[in-house]
Amino acid sequence: MNFLKILARNLALGPSTDPFPFGETFTPKGLRGRVEFDAENCTACRYCEQVCIGGAIRFSKTPEGMRFLLWHNTCTFCGLCEFYCPTHAIHLTEDWHLAHGNEDKYAMVENGLLPTIVCTQCGAEAIAIAPNPTAFKEPATEGQKEQYRHLCARCRRKFLQGAL
Amino acid sequence: MSTYTIPVGPLHVALEEPMYFKVEVSGETVVSVDITAGHVHRGVEYLLSKRTIFQNITLTERICSLCSNSHPEAYCMAIEQIAGVVVSPRGEYLRAVADEIKRIASHLFNVGIMAHLIGFESLFMHAMEIREIMQDVKETVFGNRMDIGANCIGGVRYDLDDDQRSWLLGQLDRLEPQIDELVGIYTTNRSILNRTQGIGVLSPAEAIEYAVAGPVARASGVAYDVRVKSPYTAYDKLTVEVPTRTAGDVWSRAMIRLSEVKISIGLLRRLIEDLPDGPTAPAERPEIPAGEAIAKCEAPRGELIYYVRTNGTNKPERVKWRVPSFMNWDALCTMLKGARISDIALIVNSIDPCISCTER
Repeated sequence: MNFLKILARNLALGPSTDPFPFGETFTPKGLRGRVEFDAENCTACRYCEQVCIGGAIRFSKTPEGMRFLLWHNTCTFCGLCEFYCPTHAIHLTEDWHLAHGNEDKYAMVENGLLPTIVCTQCGAEAIAIAPNPTAFKEPATEGQKEQYRHLCARCRRKFLQGAL
Repeated sequence: MSTYTIPVGPLHVALEEPMYFKVEVSGETVVSVDITAGHVHRGVEYLLSKRTIFQNITLTERICSLCSNSHPEAYCMAIEQIAGVVVSPRGEYLRAVADEIKRIASHLFNVGIMAHLIGFESLFMHAMEIREIMQDVKETVFGNRMDIGANCIGGVRYDLDDDQRSWLLGQLDRLEPQIDELVGIYTTNRSILNRTQGIGVLSPAEAIEYAVAGPVARASGVAYDVRVKSPYTAYDKLTVEVPTRTAGDVWSRAMIRLSEVKISIGLLRRLIEDLPDGPTAPAERPEIPAGEAIAKCEAPRGELIYYVRTNGTNKPERVKWRVPSFMNWDALCTMLKGARISDIALIVNSIDPCISCTER
């Protein structure tokens, strides 16, 4: 008999499911969805690539620079890349609208490029990367970051030692 | 009377996961059972030794969906022992929070499925609707409904701010009266009692002989709980009540699970209110030296043991785990003996078998 009471109450309350896709549904803050990459902040440490179990993240060297590619179809949305990224250059957005037709599968990617640059100090070819925050004693200023991005590996070391 | 053999599974409407039972019956009564496993063997143990230690945090989480927090938790605890990493107090509390949230959702799923197997569909849907509160909690706090991704080596990956803490307490207040109501139905409803009491009995002596774990052991009078016997994370700072029953039937196991849901709600309140300040995880990725370690935790189904051996490289040399379902499903041979054919699915469900964990 006690269940009849619940039955009557549930009838009065109406459906408890969301009317999606015809209406709104619940998307909590912090949901792990589509991945976004910010090349400006990437230090090319490739931690994200190392911790990715799906092998969804791949860095490759090209003449234009270091290419970042994330294929959403093997991403497990575990968020380890975001957790281990020292500069928050990679993060999972709340966008979960990832259903797509088979013909669009190669478009379900996140691309990024860390461009090839010429070192402003010595003229050597290098890849523009952001500094790892742990390399600085004090938080780096925007000017320092910009200067760092235009240096080669050797000149970056000098820069961090304060020798430039 | 002559006997004949009927197959149950590997694909069967009443089984959640593939498992093959060769059941010998005499009329309507089960005479003996032969269990054949291996339908969802994916070679995860081998795969773990081919992936990096950090990748495996996610890989262990994908072994099974219902214990998806216990696997990485035990794995991380073993790695932490090898690396000598100490988890911060806040990290320990948050690990226990994740553990209890998963336990509530897992137990409610099992008692819901029990109603479904009885044919009480409206109660099944009601139980699943109550569980939805915990699903929303997981989605909001961790960002995913099943694979919550709470653990990392050295701590946890999520944090609870003051708003989230009060919201979480509010959700527990919403959940508790509904659980009380559910307990009332499971204790008094005739359809439930007639179908579940006195079937699939495992006596206390048999429970010890089979070394069953988790709610199956506790329903047969064995008060064994890893959270009490060898406390991990924050459980040494809490008093964990271990409910036991002696009947050892399908109904007792469901009631143990419902009591544990109640206890978990109380534990969560304590954990959230006493949450210490401090970091949740180490700032740097720890170095993992060569070594070996064993860690165990109380998964929703019982004691989960992890063995990890590393050799100083970035990949573990061997990872091996023992899941509670391994002993529990062996006990099915005793539980099913003398049962009616119509009760087979109900008895199998009562051990809450996790085939993916066991066959990996």
